Amino acid sequence: MTLKASENYFDIDDILASNERIPCRVELPIYRLGYLDSSHESEHLLPGTKIEFPYWLGRAVCSKKRHIVGVDLPKQYREGYREILSADATVVDLHKLGPYYYSFGTKLLHFEHVASADIAKSLVKTFQNRFRKIMDSSQNAYNEDTSKLTENLDEAERSLFHSGQLGLHDFQRWETRKTDKLTTSNMVRNHRKRKRNVLNDGQ
Amino acid sequence: MSSLEELEDESGDEVETMTAAEVLSKLEEAWLNEKFAEDLLEAKTDLVECMMEQISEMEDNIHRAKKGDFKVSIHRLEIDRIRYVLSSYLRSRLTKIEKFATHLLEEEKLRKDDEPSKLSPEEFTFAKDYDKLLESHLRNLALRHMPAHIQTLDPKQTAVRPNLDKYVFLRVNEDTEGVLVEEETLDTGEEIVDMKKGDQHIMRYRPVAPLVASGAVSLI
Amino acid sequence: MLAEKALDLIRELERSVGGSLPPYNEDRVRQVLEEMRVLCEQNQKDVSATVAGESGLFSGVQVRHAALERNKRCLLAYLYNRIEQIKKMRWEFGSVLPTEVKYNLCEQEVQWFGRYNKLLANYMRSIGGCGGLDLTQDMKPPKTLYVEVRCLVDHGEFETQDGNVIVLKKNSQHFLLRSECEHLIRQGILEHIVH
Repeated sequence: MTLKASENYFDIDDILASNERIPCRVELPIYRLGYLDSSHESEHLLPGTKIEFPYWLGRAVCSKKRHIVGVDLPKQYREGYREILSADATVVDLHKLGPYYYSFGTKLLHFEHVASADIAKSLVKTFQNRFRKIMDSSQNAYNEDTSKLTENLDEAERSLFHSGQLGLHDFQRWETRKTDKLTTSNMVRNHRKRKRNVLNDGQ
Repeated sequence: MSSLEELEDESGDEVETMTAAEVLSKLEEAWLNEKFAEDLLEAKTDLVECMMEQISEMEDNIHRAKKGDFKVSIHRLEIDRIRYVLSSYLRSRLTKIEKFATHLLEEEKLRKDDEPSKLSPEEFTFAKDYDKLLESHLRNLALRHMPAHIQTLDPKQTAVRPNLDKYVFLRVNEDTEGVLVEEETLDTGEEIVDMKKGDQHIMRYRPVAPLVASGAVSLI
Repeated sequence: MLAEKALDLIRELERSVGGSLPPYNEDRVRQVLEEMRVLCEQNQKDVSATVAGESGLFSGVQVRHAALERNKRCLLAYLYNRIEQIKKMRWEFGSVLPTEVKYNLCEQEVQWFGRYNKLLANYMRSIGGCGGLDLTQDMKPPKTLYVEVRCLVDHGEFETQDGNVIVLKKNSQHFLLRSECEHLIRQGILEHIVH
């Protein structure tokens, strides 16, 4: 396993994204690991069995060197979905298709599927088309509940939205001269809050 | 090596005197570059030591000054300001040193004698100790309880490395021609940019990293 | 599925992002290590059988090996990301942790905090060659030399830089050098009053 710089070994998001499922077809018998397939009760995984593996496992057993299973595209990256995304990406719930739609999609490219180039293009296009709306909403939502605005966003988009919000808030604080104020550190403040809540609950 | 005169000797044949204000402005530039660069930049040990010296001189002056002298408050505020820039600069570095400790120590091992170190001597000691401290934690709580053949920590796999493909904002300080911004790929040709002094760009950090180091561009 | 328990540890951290550090999950860590032991044992069995002439066991060995690596990654990432939080605590709470916070750390993590604290102190003392520089101060650009502050708790006596002793009593207000009370503001003992 080799990682790109952006795929830090200890990165929580990358670990979660690499757990997304891929449909696989067993090609060489895998003895005594039948229990991985909860729908069958056989002792072994025999050729022809269809099973979903997390990406990290699929990657280990399907490569140029090793072909223990064949992998197929998860449906949200197949042509049907790519067409929906190219029609109007902004209305699609990428959180439901993801929530790591881009990062998992990028990982899928490792398998060098025939559709890889199309997937890569679709990922970039999708992001480009959605970017404008995400930027706008993150710059215009001030002091309001943003959960509605982010519920359809993929995790990477959410973090983009939140950086936008952070920038907006910092700017507002600077404009109203609130940045001059020295403040209690966040951890101390949260710790105090929790302690107060515990005390109140106890009463 | 700490005083202003020595700093000037170090710069070699060009005899120019650096005033405290010039040193501070150099430090401020190093501070912004460090804040916005993804990787650790070369340590500006001389600037740091020089400003530390400056602070202690100013503090001595304050002690000697008459009580209630108006100049004292101004000097004090100036000290606070310098100390803020220094601390913030060193904090940015420390964050990266912790994050990339293994990677930086690897680089340091491969460094040739005539290449400058990215780490100051103090930072090098810190990086070494920190890397050991982190590894021994992972070893004590997890690795040594794992099956023998999987107990090693391979830096190739686990070392956290800076992502040089991140995009940065920059301002050009010196005209620089023919910067290769994108290598030629199957789909697109190579992209070369001529940079004019005063221009501002957004681009990938990797191709401009050497220009940041040489001072031809500043990150903003 | 394989390595599910290890992923639970990661999910635990994911849920707590921005909040407090969850208690060190010793049981779950032990379960992950146990799964690894079993996987390794099965692999050794298959390897011996292969040496003895049985064929076709290679696929299973590969799958289990991938699971071992995955478990390792999750477990190390769990420890690593907790350490990141613990480091942050040194910068935000200072060198002494509140008891309730300490309660969620395991013994080795408490020790780690102490060692990190020492390492940091040594480094800060060595900066610039003359007496060093406290990097946990001056977190924001200074605007004024003095700041007006209100005490949020009874803190007791406090000696100012010029040698005066004042009593920091709850709700009392003071005019102090910013540089000497920034720590107390960050620790929530004083509140900075801005007009």
